[in-house]
Amino acid sequence: MNLKEWIFTTDHKRVGILYLIGSLAAFAVAGIMALLMRAELSTIGPTITANPTNYNVWLYTHGAVMILGFQIPALTGFFANFCIPLMIGAKDVAFPRVNALSVWLFYVGVILALLTFFIPDPPDIMWTGYPPYSTITTGNTAMYSFTVLILGFASIIGGVNFLTTVAYMRAPGITLNKLNIFVWCTLGAFVLQLIFVPVLGTAVSLISMDKYLGTNFFDPAKGGDVLTYQNLFWFYSHPAVYVIFLPFIGVVFEVLSSHARSAVFNYKMVVYGGIGGIVLLAGEVWVHHLYVSGMADWLRIGQMVTTLMISIPVGLMMISLVGTLYKSSIAFTTPMLYALGVVFLFLIGGLTGIPLAVPSLTLAVSDTYYVVGHFHYVMAVAGTFSIFAGIYHWFPKFSGRMYNEFWGKVGFWLTFIGSNVVFWTMMDIGVDGMPRRYYDYAHFPQFESAHQLMTAGAVVLGLGFAIAVLNWIIGAMKGPPAGDNPWGSPSLEWTTVSPPPHGNWPTPPSVAEDWHPYAYKKG
Amino acid sequence: MAHEAHHGDAHAHAHWDTSVWPFVISFGILFLALAFSLHFVYHASFAAILTLGLAFPLIIAGVAGWTSEAMGKGEGLSYGAMGWFILAEAMIFISFFVAYWYTKLHVEVWPPAGNVTLPKVLPLVMTFVLVSSSLTIHYAEHLLHVGNKGGFRIWYLLTMILGATFLGMSIYEWSHLIGAGFTISTNAFSTIFFSVTGLHGSHVVVGLAIFMAGLPSVMRGDDIDEGFMRTAGLYWHFVDIIWFFVVSQIYYW
Amino acid sequence: MESKERKGKQGMHKQLVAILRRTSVAAFGFALAASSWAAGPAQSAASKINDPARGWDSLWHEVIVDITIIGILFAVVTAWFMFSSRRTADNQVGASPKLSPASAVGWTVLPIFIFLSIDLYTAANGWVLWNHYRDVPADRLEVKLESGMYSWDYTYPNGVRTQNELIVPAGKPVMLRMTSRDTLHSHYIPDFRVKEDSMPGRVTYLWFHPTKPGEHLVTCAEYCGVMHSYMAGRVIVKSTDEYAAWMKQEETMLAAAATTEAPAVPAKAGAPAAKPKKT
Ligand code: HEA
Ligand code: HEA
Ligand code: CUA
Ligand SMILES: [Cu+2]
Repeated sequence: MNLKEWIFTTDHKRVGILYLIGSLAAFAVAGIMALLMRAELSTIGPTITANPTNYNVWLYTHGAVMILGFQIPALTGFFANFCIPLMIGAKDVAFPRVNALSVWLFYVGVILALLTFFIPDPPDIMWTGYPPYSTITTGNTAMYSFTVLILGFASIIGGVNFLTTVAYMRAPGITLNKLNIFVWCTLGAFVLQLIFVPVLGTAVSLISMDKYLGTNFFDPAKGGDVLTYQNLFWFYSHPAVYVIFLPFIGVVFEVLSSHARSAVFNYKMVVYGGIGGIVLLAGEVWVHHLYVSGMADWLRIGQMVTTLMISIPVGLMMISLVGTLYKSSIAFTTPMLYALGVVFLFLIGGLTGIPLAVPSLTLAVSDTYYVVGHFHYVMAVAGTFSIFAGIYHWFPKFSGRMYNEFWGKVGFWLTFIGSNVVFWTMMDIGVDGMPRRYYDYAHFPQFESAHQLMTAGAVVLGLGFAIAVLNWIIGAMKGPPAGDNPWGSPSLEWTTVSPPPHGNWPTPPSVAEDWHPYAYKKG
Repeated sequence: MAHEAHHGDAHAHAHWDTSVWPFVISFGILFLALAFSLHFVYHASFAAILTLGLAFPLIIAGVAGWTSEAMGKGEGLSYGAMGWFILAEAMIFISFFVAYWYTKLHVEVWPPAGNVTLPKVLPLVMTFVLVSSSLTIHYAEHLLHVGNKGGFRIWYLLTMILGATFLGMSIYEWSHLIGAGFTISTNAFSTIFFSVTGLHGSHVVVGLAIFMAGLPSVMRGDDIDEGFMRTAGLYWHFVDIIWFFVVSQIYYW
Repeated sequence: MESKERKGKQGMHKQLVAILRRTSVAAFGFALAASSWAAGPAQSAASKINDPARGWDSLWHEVIVDITIIGILFAVVTAWFMFSSRRTADNQVGASPKLSPASAVGWTVLPIFIFLSIDLYTAANGWVLWNHYRDVPADRLEVKLESGMYSWDYTYPNGVRTQNELIVPAGKPVMLRMTSRDTLHSHYIPDFRVKEDSMPGRVTYLWFHPTKPGEHLVTCAEYCGVMHSYMAGRVIVKSTDEYAAWMKQEETMLAAAATTEAPAVPAKAGAPAAKPKKT
C-alpha cells in the first residue's frame, strides 16, 4: 500500500475512507469526554475533578465534536463520498481536488477542536457559544470560531461539489426518479448546508470579533443586542439537525430495503413529500430553541405551528420505512438490526420533540435533561445507529472483506440496551426538574441514584460502540473476502468489484430500461 | 499529477490520482487559525508572526501549485458550481443584514451615540463605477465569444481598472471616517458599517484576484477558456448586486 | 409587556385559536369532539386566575398520552411486519404488491391530513396555555429581579431588597421583571413549571401563582459561567399575615438605613448560593 496515494488522494472513495477514519476518531474522543462527564456526575459534589471548568470544557468538546466532527462529516463526508458516485454510475466527483481540500480542511478543523486539551484557557462556552458569556470568559472563544468556520467551509465546498456531480455526472439511463433515496436525502442536506452554514459562520465570527476586535454586535451598552446571536445561531443549528437527519434516514432506507429485499414503499412520497417537505420547513422553525429566551411572542407562536408541522414530512418517511417491511424478506444481519433499531428509537426521539415544540410546555422543560434525552435519542442513538448500520452495510464494498456477525450482534445489543437506560432516565429526571450543563447537582439530591444508573448505562453503551469499531478494524485486516454483492442488491454500487478500483468501472455503466435501485428480482 | 486512462482492470490499483496542494493549503489555514489565537488570545505576537510565516507560504504555494496543475483541465462544470457557491456567499451577507435589522428595529434610539454623518455623494459615484465594471466585463465576454481578442483584452483591463478605482474610493472613505474618530468599536452602527463594507470590499479583492490570475494569459493572447471567463464574470456580477444592498441599507436607511 | 396592552390582542388571539381549531376539525372529523371538549375551560376562565402550572400539568399529560399512542401504533405495526416477513429461504425476495398511482397518492394525502390535524389541535391547546403564561393578572405583586454571576437580587416595589430569597404572600400572583448585569441566566422554579431567561439590555418577565405557604427551589437554567450549577435560591411563600409582618420589619430597617444614609446594601442577604463541598 502506497501511503502517498492515500494522503494526497483525490479519489472519492479514498477521500471517503479518510473522512471515515477521522470522524470515528472524533467520535471516540468525544465519547470518552461523555464518559468523563458521566463519571463526574456519578456522585453529588466533586467526583473526578474539583474544578467545574474541566467539566465545562469536556461538555463543550463533547457537544461540538460529536455534531461537527463526528456526525456531519461521517454522513455528508464518508457516506456521500463513498456512495454517491457509485450510486449514480460516475467515475468520480466533479472536482476531485476540491474534494481532497474538503477532507483535509475537515482534519484541520478537528485538530483545532481537539487542541482544546493542550492549550491554556480552553474554550468553555458550550457548543452554543452564547454571548455575553462567550465574549467575557477567559476561555479561548477564537478556537471555537475557527473550528466552526473551517469545518463549515469544508462542508460548503463539499456541498457544491456533490450538487454539481449529481446534476451533471449521472450515467446514461439514471433519471431523477431512479436515484437512490440516500442520494436524494444527501442532496437535500447539502442544499441546507449551503444556505445555512454561512449564517453559522457569521454568528461565530461575530462573537470572536466582539471579543477580540472590539466590535459591538452584542453589547447593549453600545446599541447591540444579545439575542441577535441566538437567532443567527439557531437559524443554522436547527437546520443542522436535519443535515444530520436526512442522510442518516437515507442510509436507513438503503439498509432496510437491501436486507428486506423490498422496494422502498411509495418512493415519490419520500422524495417529494418527505425530503422536499423537510428542506422547505427546516428554515422556519429555529425559534423553538428560543422559547425561554425572552424574545418576541409573535415569533414563538408562529414557529410553534411550523415546528409541529415538521412531523408531517418526517411522519411520511416513517410510514415509508415501515411500509417497506410489509411482505418483505427480512434477514436479521447486523446492519439490519441497527436499521430496525433506528425505526423504534427515532420514534421515541422524534415524538418527544412534539411537547418541546409547544412553547408553553417548553417553559418548564427547556434546558433540562428532558431536552438532553430528546436529542440524544434522535441524534446520539438514532443517528449513530444509522451510521453504524451504514458502515456495516457497505463494509464488504469498501474493504472487500466481511466483518464478524457474532460480535456485530453483541455490539448492537449492548448499545441498544445501554442507550435506553441512559437516555430514557435523562428524560425522566428532566421532567422532574434536573437542569442541564450542571457540573454538580447539590440541590437535587433526589437524582443521585438516577445519575448513577446512567453512568453505568453509559459504560455498557460505550462498550457496545467500541466492540463495533474493533470489529471493523479486525474485519478490514483479517476478514474473509466478501464478494461483489453479498446482500443481493440491485443498487448500482454493488455491480462493481469490491473494493472498487480507481475509476469505479472500466467503462461507465449504463442501465436497462426497467432497472431501479430497488427492483429486486427473484433468483 | 497522474490522471485518467486505465487500460483494463489488471493494474487498476497502479494509478490513483493524487494532488499535494489541497493538503498544503489546509495546513496553511491551520496555521492561520493558530496565529489568530496566539496574537489575540495569548498575546504572543512573536510566535504569531512566526506562525503566519508558515501559513502564508503554504497557502500561496498551494494555490499556485493547484492553479498550474489544474488550469485548462476543468470539466466545464465550474459555472454551475459557482451558482451554488454564490448562494452560500449571499447567505453571509444576508446574515449581516439580518443582524443589522434585528438590532436596529428593536432599540428605541437609533443610531446610537457617537455617530457621524456618512457621505452621500461618494457612494453614488462608487455605485456608478461598480455598475460600469459589471457592464464592461459583460461586453468583454461578448467580444471573447465572437473572437475579438484585442477588444476583449481592452475591456478586460478596463474592468480591472474600474474595480481598483472602486477599492481606492472605499479606502479613501474609510480613512476619512477613522480619522474623524469613527471606528469599528465606536458603537453598534459603526460595527455594522465597517464589517459590511469590509466584507464587501474583500469580495471585490477576491474578484480582482481572479481577474489577476487570468491576466498573464490574456496579455499573452493565449486561448482563453470561455467557461473560466463566464464563471469569473458571474462572481463579479454578484459582487455588484450585493453592493446595491450595502448602499441602500447602510448609507441611505 | 403590559397586560393592558395584551388585552387588546386577546380578542385576536382567541379568534386565531378558534381558526386553528376549526382547520384541524375540517382536516379530520375525529378531532371535532375532542376539540369542542377542550375549548370549554378557555372561555369560562375570563375572571378567574388561570394558574399556568396546573394547566401545564394537564396539557403535558395529554400530549404525552397522545405521542405514546402514536408511538405504540407505529411500533406494533413494525414489530408485526418484522415477525411476519422473516426470510425463510436464501434466494427469497420481497413480495409486496406494487402501489397503484391512486393508492400512492392516498398514502400521501391521508397521512398528511391526519398528522396536520393532530399538529393543529396540539398547537391550539398549547396556545391557550401560552396566553395563560403571558397574561399576568392585574392584582399582583411585582418584583424586580437582577441576576448576576452568581446570585438572584430581588427588589420589591417599596425598595426592599433581598438576595437569593424571594419572599411572597400566599394567594397572590407574583410577577418578576427580570434583567441581568452580566451573562444570561434563567430563573427556573421547577415547582411552578416556569422559567425565562434574563439578559443585559432587555427586560423579560414571568409570573407564577403561589397558593399555600412553603418553600420552593429556584435554580439557574441557562449556562452562565463556571459556577452555573451552584446558582440557586428559594421562593419562600408565607401566609398573608406573616408576609405583612416580615415586610413591615424590612420597611423599618430600610427607612432607618435611609436616614443614616448608609450605603444601599441589600436589606437582608439571604443564604448565599451553595458552594462546592470540596475545593
Ligand atoms: C438529528 C437531530 C434532531 C432531530 C431529527 C430533531 C427533531 C425534532 N426536534 Fe429536536 N433537538 C435536537 C436534535 C434533533 N431534533 C438537538 C441537538 C437539540 C438541542 C440542542 C441544544 O440545545 O444543545 C434539540 C432540541 C429541540 C427543541 C428545543 C428544546 C429546548 O431547548 O427547549 C425542540 C423544541 O421544539 C425540538 C423539537 C424537535 C421536533 C419537533 C423534531 C421533529 O423533527 C421530530 C419529528 C418526528 C416525529 C414527530 C416522529 C415521527 C412521526 C410520526 C410517527 C408521525 C405522526 C406524529 C405526529 C402527528 C405528532 N428539539
Ligand atoms: C451526535 C451527537 C452525540 C452523541 C453520539 C452523544 C453521545 C453521548 N452523550 Fe452526549 N451530547 C451531545 C451530543 C451527543 N452525545 C450534545 C450536542 C450535547 C449538548 C452539549 C451542550 O450542552 O453544549 C450532549 C450532552 C450530553 C450530556 C449532558 C451534560 C450536561 O448537560 O451537563 C450528557 C450527560 O450524560 C451526555 C452523555 C452522552 C453519552 C453517555 C453518550 C454515549 O452515547 C457515548 C458513547 C460512546 C463512547 C463511549 C465512545 C466509544 C468508543 C469508541 C468508539 C472507541 C473505540 C476505539 C477503539 C477500540 C480503538 N451528553
Ligand atoms: Cu446563572 Cu446559570
Ligand atoms: Cu430544533
